[in-house]
Amino acid sequence: MVDLVDESRRQALLEKLVDFVLATKNDEKMPSTLARSLLHFWQQDRLMSKQGLAVLLEAGVRLEPEKTLSALSELNLKDLEVKIKEDLPQ
Amino acid sequence: MTKFGIEFVPREAYWKIMYYVIQAERGGFSNLWVTDHFNNRNVYATLAAASIYTNQITLGPGVTNPFMVNPVFTAQGVATLDELAPGRVVLGIGAGDKTTLDTVGVEMRKPLTAVQESVAIIRGMLDGESVSFQGDVFKTAGAKFLFKTRRIPVYVGAQGPKMLALAGRIGDGVLINACNQKDVELAVKSVKEGINEAGRKLEEVDIAVYTAFSVHQDIKKATKAAVPPVSFIVAGCPPEILERHGINVEKAS
Repeated sequence: MVDLVDESRRQALLEKLVDFVLATKNDEKMPSTLARSLLHFWQQDRLMSKQGLAVLLEAGVRLEPEKTLSALSELNLKDLEVKIKEDLPQ
Repeated sequence: MTKFGIEFVPREAYWKIMYYVIQAERGGFSNLWVTDHFNNRNVYATLAAASIYTNQITLGPGVTNPFMVNPVFTAQGVATLDELAPGRVVLGIGAGDKTTLDTVGVEMRKPLTAVQESVAIIRGMLDGESVSFQGDVFKTAGAKFLFKTRRIPVYVGAQGPKMLALAGRIGDGVLINACNQKDVELAVKSVKEGINEAGRKLEEVDIAVYTAFSVHQDIKKATKAAVPPVSFIVAGCPPEILERHGINVEKAS
């Protein structure tokens, strides 16, 4: 899915996702394996990589789905927004 | 050379704290302290995780107290941590705060003696001794680790003049809990008195000062965020410090 984010918008998406993932009150929705992956990529300073951004995006969708969709909309990442909406449970 | 440390209160999920821990090391902080309160995440579990996610930063409890945690367990905690982060561990220990101790019905008995005796027990155990100690507050009868340990620098957390002087007498460092410049000046004076009493040199004691910042673009939000920690600090302040700032001692408690 991260392939749908062009490089010029990766930094902006990363900043938005990090902001609300860290501020979330939905900690219980964070699987421990995903938390470890997130910290792994952050520790390696590779959150901006495709794999790092994919982990962060998954965290965003799990913890703050509405804010994630809104961020994608703000950044005009329509294809990704549609794809995530399709995957979300109704 | 002046160094900067950062304190974490493990109130948030561990992965959020670790995110900021990684950022703190990357940002150049030298020390990382984690507070020890029963109502937050456990200090040693948090420090163990921090030791794995960092490579250079010095870390330790800042501060634990001997009333909630017996000194032999504090020694065990920092010794185990030293295996995870060899040579990067320090121990901060003070008398604790009355508010928290009252909440769990633990009496703060003879705080100066308790801290002094704890430091002696902890150092003895970290030195690999079989510690038999007959103190006024703590007693041990041949307490010894079954694994290899080594000496870890002990910082005494202090606010009042007597505890500050004790820190100067016995500490490898002192963690002065004061935000106001005048308080810091007077605190350092008390530490120096202790250093002189013990015939030590000033450079033998690392003087660190805890100060708090509340940062937000909106001053109202910054002020609002500061209220809970300030209330907590005031409630645990020695009377002489409250009086110095014109704060009603009765109301503060």
